[in-house]
Amino acid sequence: MIKAFVVFVFAYVIVIADTQISGHIDLDSQFYISKPDTKHANSFTLKQTLELKYIKDDLSIFAKLYAQEAYKDFLRDADDTKRTFIRLDELFLRLDFEDDTLQIGKSIKYWGALELRNIVDVFNSNELRDDMFKTNKLGALNSSYTHYTQNGELSLIIKVSEQDQKMAAYPYVYYFFTPTINYNHNLLSSNKEYRPSLYLTYSSTTQSDYALDYAFVYQNGYDSQRYFSSLANKPSSYFQSAYLVNKFMTYNTLVVNATLIKLEALYAFVEKDVSVGDYSHLALGIEHTLEDFDNGASLGLICEYYRYDTYESDKYNDLQLFETMQDDIFLGARYTLNDADDSSVVGGLIHDLEYNEQVYYLEYMSRVGDNFKIELDYYYIEPSKNTRTAYSFLGRHQRIGLNLAYHF
Amino acid sequence: MLKIFTTALVLTSSVFAITNQEVAQKSDDALSGFVDSVSVMEMKLINARGQEKIRQMSMKVLEGEEADKSLMEFDTPADVKGTKFLSYEHINKDDDQWLYLPALKRVKRIASKNKSGAFMGSEFSYEDLSAFNVNKYTYTGDAKLGILNDKEVYIGESVPVSKYSGYTKLISYIDKSSFLIQKIEYFDRKKKLLKTSYFENYKKFAKINRIGKITMKNIQNDKITILTWTKEEVNTGLSDKNFHKRYLKK
Repeated sequence: MIKAFVVFVFAYVIVIADTQISGHIDLDSQFYISKPDTKHANSFTLKQTLELKYIKDDLSIFAKLYAQEAYKDFLRDADDTKRTFIRLDELFLRLDFEDDTLQIGKSIKYWGALELRNIVDVFNSNELRDDMFKTNKLGALNSSYTHYTQNGELSLIIKVSEQDQKMAAYPYVYYFFTPTINYNHNLLSSNKEYRPSLYLTYSSTTQSDYALDYAFVYQNGYDSQRYFSSLANKPSSYFQSAYLVNKFMTYNTLVVNATLIKLEALYAFVEKDVSVGDYSHLALGIEHTLEDFDNGASLGLICEYYRYDTYESDKYNDLQLFETMQDDIFLGARYTLNDADDSSVVGGLIHDLEYNEQVYYLEYMSRVGDNFKIELDYYYIEPSKNTRTAYSFLGRHQRIGLNLAYHF
Repeated sequence: MLKIFTTALVLTSSVFAITNQEVAQKSDDALSGFVDSVSVMEMKLINARGQEKIRQMSMKVLEGEEADKSLMEFDTPADVKGTKFLSYEHINKDDDQWLYLPALKRVKRIASKNKSGAFMGSEFSYEDLSAFNVNKYTYTGDAKLGILNDKEVYIGESVPVSKYSGYTKLISYIDKSSFLIQKIEYFDRKKKLLKTSYFENYKKFAKINRIGKITMKNIQNDKITILTWTKEEVNTGLSDKNFHKRYLKK
């Protein structure tokens, strides 16, 4: 019934209604220079994103479909990485009133201020069958009501359910378990899977000399942080476990001349879970842009610090929860050429102050012609030598990536 | 006799002299009063080898008592379709600016001090595209009369008030009868001529003038950007609410 409804809405939006259609087709290739011997040395993935937008007066309908096909999955041998799928990310209806908006359906939201990672961007889960360095969010079924004030907005959001998260399979390089472990994507939850999560958000902007964009979020429901556990009758199968929290979050950007000062912070009160206790996460950032380099180019300098703490010693800590940004500093730069092809080079270093591990990366992006984009990247991870961090499961890692995209 | 003639000439000159400040104010007045505007624009980027690229965008502007609000949406190239830029201008403090990135659904705050940055890879900077406002510059002395394309024009110098401007001075050529800007020369921080812009195809909406085309020539790199308003309506009934941040995500 739901499938028939989705097909009907798509057919209506495309064929009958005056719909804006956009999207892109990507050929994503990666070559792993340093990786475990038994894992794949490369990956080639074709990706398609299709967006449909229909607006008539105060009514908007938006749909987003995503599909990817991994070359290794088509060889039909033991190396199947389970990275070929189609996904409906968004399908929502929005009604705009004078000072209010009502939205119902599946959608993606963004919360945050910092550049490297947004610790408060917790509404949608990230795809575990794609490149771990890129954001690829799964849509969440929800309804929201937003009231707008002169400078701000107050929203009540009800997320209907938590999604199961499928994972790529061994020997894909970004599969972290050993081959003997079987990951089962059925979510284990401390309450019913369809127990809704409630979010109350308020954001606004001050009218002071130094403008401040601020936002507060309160959440009651399933946490975005998950842990892995097995059942007594299935010891080799690992499941994702979800637990309930009362979570307080904030994200802010202060503008001081040509500098942006950013803060994201959260505190989670965990409701009776045997494995996870209360925790906090803090992120501070500063971004300063220097203009008028050679031929109008600009250079953005970024420095960010992340701190994660757990408060119950008999429960999981950052290592067991695979938290990578627990005491980390990020130093980055963005060189924007300001040319007709919007070319830019972004690079950075993430240094873990506690476990002494580093991630280095460099990315180049540019447009070719009017419809093609090219993206080249290089990543190098030097994991901790003495501690079982998330990166240590991956081992020393070095990769080169090339993404060619056709936009329409 | 010669003394009397000289005195008369000086008096006549003084009576008919007009200051640069007055010319700028009249020019500002000639372009003001549109209340709000909804337009579609095309930007042609021409590099030093003559190769062309076209960008399209739509723009809404709300005229304020002191400064304007604007919301720009990019339509092409395809990879930036739906990207929006919201700006609240201020006279006595920095402008408020946000960028909406549709791929991430992210509203990103921009530090507006970076006025001199190139806009979308064009020869226009963000400060070139903000509405002309007499209070953003200082003016000294009287305007000189000159001829540009067989028209009598006032030629006057202005200096940007903002220390973050990319320019040390501007020389404006303003039509003597209509007070509409015809040409501006921009001098960079090294006080060298950087760019020249030409203003054409003024359209009249009742008593209000709106620019139809600006050609910006960069003297130092030989690149040219031509900005053309293909459609424009004024006084359409927009209000402050149409420039709320909620419209970035719509």
